[in-house]
Amino acid sequence: MTAITKLRDRFTEADIDHEIVIMRLDNGEFFSLSGTAAATWRLIDGRRDRHALAAAANAEFDGSECEINADIDEFLVRLRETGLLAGG
Amino acid sequence: MTSPVPNRSIATDPRPSGPPTVKTLAERVMVRETRVAFGPVAKSLSGDPLRPASWQVLGDEFLLRGEGDHYFHYRLGEGITIERGHDADLSEEALWLNGTVYAAIASLNGLLPIHASAVALEEHVFAFTGPAGAGKSTLVAALGDRGLPMFCDDTLVLDLSDPDRIICLPGHKRMKLTPGALQLTGATREKQVSRTVDKCYASPQAGDVGVALPLARLIFLEVGERPEITPITGSERFVRMQDDHQTAHLFAAARQFDRAGSFAHLSRLARQIVMARFARPHDVGRFAAGVAMVEQYITEVATEWDQEQQP
Repeated sequence: MTAITKLRDRFTEADIDHEIVIMRLDNGEFFSLSGTAAATWRLIDGRRDRHALAAAANAEFDGSECEINADIDEFLVRLRETGLLAGG
Repeated sequence: MTSPVPNRSIATDPRPSGPPTVKTLAERVMVRETRVAFGPVAKSLSGDPLRPASWQVLGDEFLLRGEGDHYFHYRLGEGITIERGHDADLSEEALWLNGTVYAAIASLNGLLPIHASAVALEEHVFAFTGPAGAGKSTLVAALGDRGLPMFCDDTLVLDLSDPDRIICLPGHKRMKLTPGALQLTGATREKQVSRTVDKCYASPQAGDVGVALPLARLIFLEVGERPEITPITGSERFVRMQDDHQTAHLFAAARQFDRAGSFAHLSRLARQIVMARFARPHDVGRFAAGVAMVEQYITEVATEWDQEQQP
C-alpha cells in the first residue's frame, strides 16, 4: 500500500459552508463533496494509505466497519477515475 | 478621442441639495469614469464588425453599438465617448448608458455588477435577483410602500476591494415598472422609459438610499406553489453565482479570468454572500402575502443583528 495523494496540480477547491467544491483545471468540471465525502476528502493528507484512511474514517464516522470500508473503497475509485488522486 | 462638449456623468439622480455624504473610493471611481463626451469613435475593437445591440471588450476598452449607428466607447481613465449617427435612437441612449455601458465600466474597474434590485434596512442591503420578469423591481416597489427605501433597481454594483466584506454601491438607475407592476404596487407613474420599452419610471414610495452599504442578503426570486423563504447553502451558493445574465458576461470579459481565477472569484462570492430563495406563486391575489413575508424576513434578520450587538 502506498500513501494516497491528491493531484493538486490538476484541480482547485474551496470550502463553502460544510461542503467542498472542486474544479478540474483541464476541463472545468465541478464536483461537490458533502457529509462523509467531504470528511473523507479532508482525511486524505498525502501520508495515509488505504488502511490508515479507513481506520481514520471508522474512528470519525458512525456505522459498521464493513460498510464504512466499502464506502471508502468506492469513493477512492471514483476519485481516481476523475483524475484527482494517485496511490493507495 | 475627441471631447467637444463639456463632460457630464451618467448619474441620473444627482442630489445637490441633500445631506452631505461620504463617498467610497469605488463610488468616486464610477463618477469619474462615467463622464460623457461626444465625438467620433472606432467602429470595432477586434477588427470584426459590431452588429447592432452588441459589444466588444479589448484590454481596457469597451465598445457598444446601440440600434443603428449609435456607438458608446469607454477606455479606462478616459470616460465615455458617444457617437450619434444619423439613425441613432436618442430615446434609448440613457438606457444604454445606465445599463450595459455602466456595467462594463464597473467591470473594467474591478467592480462586480449583478442583475438585482434592492432595498435597505438598518444600514444593510437586501437584494433580489432573478431573470428578467422575475419581479425584482415590483417587489422593491411593494416594499417601498411598506416603508423600505430602494437601494437600486435592476443593477447592483458590488465593491469587492475589502476581502472581509462585500459593499454595495447605491443605485444609479431610476426605478422602472411595467403597467401591471404600477397597478400592483401603487407606485407613482412617471414618464414612459422609451418609445420601445413598455415600462414607466416610478418614484420609490419610501425614497432611496445614496450611500454605500454592506450586502446582507441576496435573495433569488422563484415561482413556487406557496410563499416560502428558505436558505441557500453550500455548493448551491457557488452554482447560483454562475449567473447567466449579461452583467456576468461583461465582468468575465473585462477581468479575463482563467479557470482558476474564475473559480476563486466565484468561491469568494459563494462564501461571503448569504443567500436565500423566495418562492411564491404567480398569483396577483397572493402578492401582498408574499411581500409581507419578505418584509418580515428582512425585519427578523435586522433584529438579530440588533440583539447580537447588545452587550
